[in-house]
Amino acid sequence: MNSISVSIPDLPTDEPTPLAIADDLLSLLKTSTTEPRSDEQLEALSIAVAADLPVLLWGEPGIGKTAVLTQLAASLELPLTTVIASVHEPSDFSGLPIVGDDPEQRGVPMAPPRWAVELVKAGRGLLFLDELSTATPAVQAALLRVVLERRVGALRLPPDVRIVAAANPRASAADGWDLTPPLANRFVHLHWAHDQEVVVRGLGGVWPRAELPSLDRERLPEAVSFARRAICGFLTVRPKLIHQLPGAETQRGRAWPSPRSWEAAMTLLAFATAARVSRDVLALLIRGVVGDGAGIELLAHLDRMELPDPESLLADPTAAHLPVRGDLRRAALEAMVSAVQSRPTRQRWEAAWVVLAQALETSAADLLVTPATALAELRHEDWEVPDTIEQLSEVVSITQRASQSVRTMGASR
Amino acid sequence: MTDTPPTLHTGPTHRLDTAKLLTARMHAVKVRPYLADALFALHVVEDWAVPTMAVDMHWRCYVSPGFVDRTPVEELAGVWVHEVCHLLRDHHGRSQRYAAEHGEHGPGERLRHNIAADFEINDDIYGDGLPQPTDAIVPSLMGLPEGLLMEQYLNRASLSDLARDLAWLECGSGADGHQRPWELGPDGANGLTRQQRDAVRFRVAEGINGRPGTAPDGWRRWAQRVFHQPQPWRHLLGAAVRSAVGTAGGSQNHSYRRPSRRAAGVPKVVLPRLVRQPPKVCVVIDTSGSVSDTELGIALVEVAAISRAVGGRRGSVSVISCDAAAGVAAPLCQEEDIELIGGGGTDLRSGFARAMSSRPRPEVVVALTDGHTPWPATQPPCKTVVGLFRRPVPAVDEDNPHYYQPDPPPPWARVVTIGLVLRTLQHRQPRVIGVEAFDMLQQPGFSGVAQHRR
Repeated sequence: MNSISVSIPDLPTDEPTPLAIADDLLSLLKTSTTEPRSDEQLEALSIAVAADLPVLLWGEPGIGKTAVLTQLAASLELPLTTVIASVHEPSDFSGLPIVGDDPEQRGVPMAPPRWAVELVKAGRGLLFLDELSTATPAVQAALLRVVLERRVGALRLPPDVRIVAAANPRASAADGWDLTPPLANRFVHLHWAHDQEVVVRGLGGVWPRAELPSLDRERLPEAVSFARRAICGFLTVRPKLIHQLPGAETQRGRAWPSPRSWEAAMTLLAFATAARVSRDVLALLIRGVVGDGAGIELLAHLDRMELPDPESLLADPTAAHLPVRGDLRRAALEAMVSAVQSRPTRQRWEAAWVVLAQALETSAADLLVTPATALAELRHEDWEVPDTIEQLSEVVSITQRASQSVRTMGASR
Repeated sequence: MTDTPPTLHTGPTHRLDTAKLLTARMHAVKVRPYLADALFALHVVEDWAVPTMAVDMHWRCYVSPGFVDRTPVEELAGVWVHEVCHLLRDHHGRSQRYAAEHGEHGPGERLRHNIAADFEINDDIYGDGLPQPTDAIVPSLMGLPEGLLMEQYLNRASLSDLARDLAWLECGSGADGHQRPWELGPDGANGLTRQQRDAVRFRVAEGINGRPGTAPDGWRRWAQRVFHQPQPWRHLLGAAVRSAVGTAGGSQNHSYRRPSRRAAGVPKVVLPRLVRQPPKVCVVIDTSGSVSDTELGIALVEVAAISRAVGGRRGSVSVISCDAAAGVAAPLCQEEDIELIGGGGTDLRSGFARAMSSRPRPEVVVALTDGHTPWPATQPPCKTVVGLFRRPVPAVDEDNPHYYQPDPPPPWARVVTIGLVLRTLQHRQPRVIGVEAFDMLQQPGFSGVAQHRR
C-alpha cells in the first residue's frame, strides 16, 4: 500500500504563515470603492436586457465585459450564470444524446447540462454566453438556438431568464466567424469599448457604479404611442428602408433593417422613452438593431419630430418656442415659411414676421437670412410691410454685405 | 469691505464684431450651400484667449474679437469653412485614435496632428469664392503631395521642423482631440452630444448625396463614405475565405460522424469529436495587363497566409494564372514558387473551368481580378470568393464607341474589394495597406512575379 507522508513544518502558532500574509496583501489589493458615473454602454445594455431582446456584445477580450455583466445582474437582482462557449461541445447546448435500453421505441433523449437544469429550477437569472466567436461552428450553431429559441436540449428556459452573448470582433477573432444575415437581424449589436479614464481610475481603486435607468410607470402609454408614431411616420417617408438586405461584404454580420428589426427598434424606443435615457444611449440601441445608416436616419427623423409645428407657431406667434441650436432653429423657421407659402394669407404672413423678429432676439442674425428672404418674396402687392421688419434691419445688412463680398470674390477670380 | 469684488480691466475695451463674423458665415453659406447645416450648428463663443478661431469637439466655435477685427470678411468666411471641416471630418476622433494607436501624446504631438489635419483640409477647400489665406498651411510646404488623409501625412513626415515655426497654430480640440484650458468641456452650455454631431454630419452628407452636382469631388467622396466606413480588405478577404472553407468541408469542427475519445468514460452518452479536414483552395489569378505586379504580389501573399491560417497543408492550395486562356494549376508550397504567366486580355471563365476540372476538385475558388472579364454563366459547384482590385469608375460617356463598363461579379460570389491604400475618413486603424507585402516583393523569389509577365 502506498502512503504519502506530508511533513508539516513547526511554526510558532502566534506568527502568521507566509501565505496568510500574502492573502492579506491580496485582499488589500482587491479592496476598491465605487463612484456613480453615467455609462452609456451599460445603460444601453440594461435597456436591451429589460426589453428582453437578445444582445450581442462585440468587444476585444479582456476589457471587462464579465465585470459589467456581474454588475448588471446585481442591479437587476438576477443570479448570473456565465458559460464560456469555447470550452464546450455542441451537445452541452443542444443536449447530450443518451442511448437508452430501447432507443427505437423510446427515442434518444437529449439530456440538458447541469447549468441549464439549475437555471430552470431557479426560474430566473442572467445567462451570459461568453466567447461565442472562438467556439467551433457546431458549438455556435447550437448556442444560437439557445439564444434565439431559448431551448437547451429538451429544456425550455423560463421567461425570466435574460440572455446576453459576447463575441470578439472578426478582426481579432481567431477564425473570422461572422453571422449570417438572418441571425444578425435577430440581435441587438452593442460594441463594447473600454474607457481609458474608467480603467485608470478603477485600477487606482475606484470603479464606476452606473445608475441603471428605471422605467417610469406613468410614462408607459405615452412611450408606446411615441414609439409607434416615430417608427410608422419614418417608414412612411422612407419605405425603402423597411427591408434592406446587407449587400456589401463590409456589412456582413452587422445589424440591418427588416420588419423584424424595426419591431425591435420600436420596442427599444418605447423602453428608452419610458426610462428617459439620453439620445446617445438611444442612438447606440437603434444603430445596434437596424444598422448605422437606417439608424442615423431614424434619429434624424426623431430630431425633426421635435421641431415646433409650423401651424402652431403661426397660430400663436408670440408664444413661439424655438430650438436653441442654430441649424434646428433655421429648419423650424424654414418649415414655417413654407407653411405660409402653401396657404398664403395676410394674417399668416404677418404672424411669421412676428416669429422671425422674436427669433432674432435670441439667435445669430445670419440664421434668419434665408427664411426672411423667402418670406419677403411671398408678399402680395396690397400687403403692407409690418413694423416688425425694422427689427430685422441687421439681417438685411448682413445679407447685403455678404452678397457684396461674394460678388467681390467672384469678380477677382 | 466692499460689496463687489474689484474688477481687473486687463482685456480689451471693445466687443466682438458679431455682424462682421456673421456676414462672413453668410458668405460661406452662399458659396458652400451644402455646408449650411454644419455652419449654423456651430455655437459662437467670444474668447480673447484664442489666437484666432478654434472649434472644440462639442461644436462650439471660439472666436477672438481681435482676429475678427483685423481679418477681411472673405478670409473669415474661409476660416469658418476650415473650422467646420475639422468637425465634419471627425479630426478629433481620428486624432485620438491615431494617438492611442501610436502611443504619442503631448503638446508637440498635438501640434503635429493639427498641422496634418490642416493639410488634409486646406488642399481642397479654397478657391471658388473663398480666397486662400497667404499663411495657409498646405502640404507643399513640406514637399508632400496633396490629397492625402491626416493619418497619411502623420505617417509620412515628422512635421516637427514645421511645428517649430507654427507654434501659434491653434484650431482647438475639434482638430486634434486635446482639450484646451479655455474650452467649456463636455458639460458646458450649447455643446452637441455625440449623437447630435452625427446627426449634423449625416444631414450634410445627405444634402450632398441628394444634389451631388453642387459639391466638388472631394466632398462627394466624403459624403458617400462618412457613414459607410470601409473595412480593411485583408480582414474581409480572410473572413470570406475562412467562411467559405468553414462551410465547405470544414477546417476544425465538432462532428458526430466519429465518436469522441471521451465517450469511453461515459458509455451511454454520444459525444462528438473534433475533426480537421484541410480545405482544398484554388486561386485563379487574373494576369492580364491591367492588373499590376504589386497588386498581384499583395493578393498572393494574403491568400497564402489565409490558407495557412485555415489549416491548409502542403499542396492544399493551388494557383491558376489566367488571361485569355488558363495556365497550368500548380500546387502552392511556398510563396516563392508561384509563377505567373500572362498578360493581355482576360477571360476568367477558362480559369474557373480549369479549376473545376483539376483533381482533387477544390472546395473553394478564390478569384483575384480587376473585374474586366466575362463571368461564368452558372454558379460553379463550389464556394466562390472574388477579390476585386479597385479601379476608378470612368464617367459614363455614351458617345464614346469604346466606352465599356465591365459586368459586376455574379451574385453567387462573395466579393471583397481590394485597394492598395485605404482612403477612409473614419477608419479605426488608418494605414497604408500592403507595406509588408511590398517588403516581401523585394525578396528574391518574388521577382518571378514580374519576370514571367510579358
